[in-house]
Amino acid sequence: MTASRQGAPGFSLSRLADVILPKLVLAPTVLACLVGFYVFIGWTAWLSFTESRMLPRYEWAGLVQYVELFGNDRWWGAMQNLGVFGGLFILVSLTLGLLMAVLLDQKIRFEGAIRTLYLYPMALSFIVTGTAWKWILNPGLGLEKLAHDWGFTGVTFDWIINPDFAIYTVVIAGVWQSSGFVMALFLAGLRGVDDSIIKAAQMDGASLPTIYTRIIIPSLRPVFLSAFMILAHIAVKSFDLVMALTGGGPGFATDLPSIFMYQHGFTRGQLGLGAASAMMMLFTACAVVMPLLYSELRRERRG
Amino acid sequence: MADYQQSLQAKLIRFGIYAVLVLMALWYLAPLYVMLSTSFKTLDEIRAGNLLSLPGTFSLDAWSAAWSTACTGVECGGMKSYFANSLKMMIPAVLISTLVGAFNGYILSMWRFKGSDMFFMALLIGTFLPYQVVILPMAQVLGWLELENSTGRLVLVHVIYGLQFTTLFFRNYYVTVPGELVKAARIDGAGFFRIFFKILLPISVPTIMVCLIWQTTQIWNDYLFGVVFSSGEGQPMTVALNNLVNTSTGVKQYNVDMAAAIIAALPTLLVYMVGGKYFVRGLTAGAVKG
Amino acid sequence: MGALSIRNVKKSFGNTHILKGIDLEIEKGQFLILVGPSGCGKSTLLNMIAGLDDITSGEIAIGDRVVNKLSPKDRDIAMVFQSYALYPNMTVRKNIAFGLDIRKVPKPEQEEIIARVAKTLQIEHLLDRKPMQLSGGQRQRVAMGRALARNPTLFLFDEPLSNLDAKLRVEMRSEIKLLHQRLGTTIVYVTHDQIEAMTLGDRIAVMKDGEVRQFGSPQQIYDAPADLYVAGFIGSPSMNFIPVQLHEEDGHAVVELDNGRAVQKVRLSPISDSQRDFVGKQVVLGIRPEQLTDPESAHSERGNLQTLQATVAITEPTGPDTLVTVTFNGIKTVARCHPRAAGAPGQQVELTLDPTKALLFDPASEKRLA
Repeated sequence: MTASRQGAPGFSLSRLADVILPKLVLAPTVLACLVGFYVFIGWTAWLSFTESRMLPRYEWAGLVQYVELFGNDRWWGAMQNLGVFGGLFILVSLTLGLLMAVLLDQKIRFEGAIRTLYLYPMALSFIVTGTAWKWILNPGLGLEKLAHDWGFTGVTFDWIINPDFAIYTVVIAGVWQSSGFVMALFLAGLRGVDDSIIKAAQMDGASLPTIYTRIIIPSLRPVFLSAFMILAHIAVKSFDLVMALTGGGPGFATDLPSIFMYQHGFTRGQLGLGAASAMMMLFTACAVVMPLLYSELRRERRG
Repeated sequence: MADYQQSLQAKLIRFGIYAVLVLMALWYLAPLYVMLSTSFKTLDEIRAGNLLSLPGTFSLDAWSAAWSTACTGVECGGMKSYFANSLKMMIPAVLISTLVGAFNGYILSMWRFKGSDMFFMALLIGTFLPYQVVILPMAQVLGWLELENSTGRLVLVHVIYGLQFTTLFFRNYYVTVPGELVKAARIDGAGFFRIFFKILLPISVPTIMVCLIWQTTQIWNDYLFGVVFSSGEGQPMTVALNNLVNTSTGVKQYNVDMAAAIIAALPTLLVYMVGGKYFVRGLTAGAVKG
Repeated sequence: MGALSIRNVKKSFGNTHILKGIDLEIEKGQFLILVGPSGCGKSTLLNMIAGLDDITSGEIAIGDRVVNKLSPKDRDIAMVFQSYALYPNMTVRKNIAFGLDIRKVPKPEQEEIIARVAKTLQIEHLLDRKPMQLSGGQRQRVAMGRALARNPTLFLFDEPLSNLDAKLRVEMRSEIKLLHQRLGTTIVYVTHDQIEAMTLGDRIAVMKDGEVRQFGSPQQIYDAPADLYVAGFIGSPSMNFIPVQLHEEDGHAVVELDNGRAVQKVRLSPISDSQRDFVGKQVVLGIRPEQLTDPESAHSERGNLQTLQATVAITEPTGPDTLVTVTFNGIKTVARCHPRAAGAPGQQVELTLDPTKALLFDPASEKRLA
């Protein structure tokens, strides 16, 4: 039985290492994640219940910031803009992305090159995109002048300085940047569809458009879902694009919650109001993403 | 006759498909063309011509102005120092977040322990959050840490909020690697670090590429963290570009704006051209799971 | 002291009990097979022997050393995995040398070992290739080479042949057996394939639901299975189980088989004490297909063969034999007949049953009535 103890000194170090090292190495990330996300969210929530202005104060003040936020016309304007921008941005990107993916899926020559062209805007900063489109859309020397030079002298194209239309310029630039990415998602989904299903449908005598609309596209449901969630996510946090393109103007015509939050939280000394608007952005993101995620999880569980 | 009609119809449809695809390609290319041609024009040419007109003389004045003399507010040193700021921030942030993410992925797939799966979920949820909800406390904490250096601040922030993606990439790759590989190495006598560096890291090159490219584009292109956590001469390229374009003093120099915008876009465009395959893979992987 | 002793080893996660007290012991040089359906705990047990899984309670000793708390590398073992687990970034040579390197074996000695192992397994020409460039069978050899190089006291095999195609599997099986005979190594081998278990093992542990149902030599397990599960699991086609009522006549156990037209009395071996308790009750009669055959194929010298009439339902030729399905007591029963004596569906055939090989089981406890 003395023999069985010979192993004892050997065990402690290497076995302990196996147990402790993984936890030790993961620890900084756990800390960063817990503090960086969860503690900070709690902290922002707390700030939103205080009367912090230039500097944070931590006395409980109840719902004053939310009362102020909900009574603030600019906030509601920003939320409305987010609705218009988000809705159109998602809808157009999905449609365009799906269309291009289906067309590209028809054994196209130079598919690789075309795909590369469609996707490159995704590699750009929204600031660059905004800068480019701001120049293209400017009424004096941009598209409007191009139309005039081509002989369409009656054309006016001043959306970017027209409060009623400025938000649509944000949609255009956003779609330009992101639709190629949606195309890539759909194309990957299309390539993942089981070939034998398509063959079986062809045997049944279905035409190509029927196969797409009745069989292939419905089977892309998960791709629609993830594309939708990513686009929604981009829309809710979208900030840089508008800052570069319109700066939120003219007036507050393209103001968004993210800009509202940034300005109140960092430049106007309204920490509490900024925090309250940040919390509302969080809820908006959750409200969009959670039901979808939940319904998908339920489908999977039943499925 | 019917055959002929059918093949004619098929040809027309094919032609239509190509026409649409080419039109789309033009719409994606047009802004790049406009930016480039504008950047080579003089201001007079810009006023005289239109968006699509080619520059008469390829003038590099706008480029040199954008690089070294253009004014962002009161500073008139061009983009070069901000470009350098972005590089100085990006390189360490990308390397650190990739290495730590690789370790995390390795642990979360090969060395699972009680609670590790739950932690992964907690990390994943983070990818859905709008950053606006964490930047106020982060600014406060950075203040307490007395980290005055803008680059240092941005490296820290980008590492913290990049880890969720890098961890995700590596975990999703390592769960496809048979766990028996790690078991075999343990029986052969290799420990935690040796298994990682000698066996897993050498087979992770594609994932490392995805991760590097994803982080490079994310960090280089970021504006929110840059505008919130950096100041003055420490600002990254995106912030400087936006300041340059939206500065309201003097005559609007569109050609300089465009040159600066292209300079800001060049690094990520280059990365995209060199590693496009990995870029797309990262986008779709990050998207489908994130 | 055995080469490997497993004493009352248990494994549980909370209230889920994966292993419910395992006791096994083998001598140096023995080939132990852990066989059972997936989820029976055999791989968990192997991982616990290897040190890759923790032991909830009990004791595992390799040689005379209790290894419960030793890490895998200190247990003096080597393991071959189902996926082979070859390091993809290293050449075959480096794969084999990896463990030696870590153990700081001097280079010249490493070269010697690699040369010896490569010769034994005939993989000399593969040494500078990467695993990606190898076929399944070659990978299998390299995986074994990596284990052999270390010359451990105990070899562990985790379903090593499952990823090979049928032909290669049979080839590698006999090669493993040959290797074992030549090198005299002690081996623990996990498989779900009962043929592999029978052909390779000196000792077989049949496992189910975290328990060892029977532990013995292949022949013991085949001839005297401990219970219905073991009886049905080992052997292909599996043993027939026919519900019967047990009688006693002249000190012999007697059962009745109804072929649908007539009831035939079958006289089995002299009745044992444990069987006598079941006289007048329902029991399960177990007959292997090869013990139910046509009179021509039956070994007549055994004498006392019982003759039965039955109607053929299906015939399935396998080449050397034809499997004939008939019905007894409403249960489909398979007999292994000479192709010429198999008959055709609907025909009456005569079958003989070897009463000395017939087994009786308690339907409630599922134990064999010895």
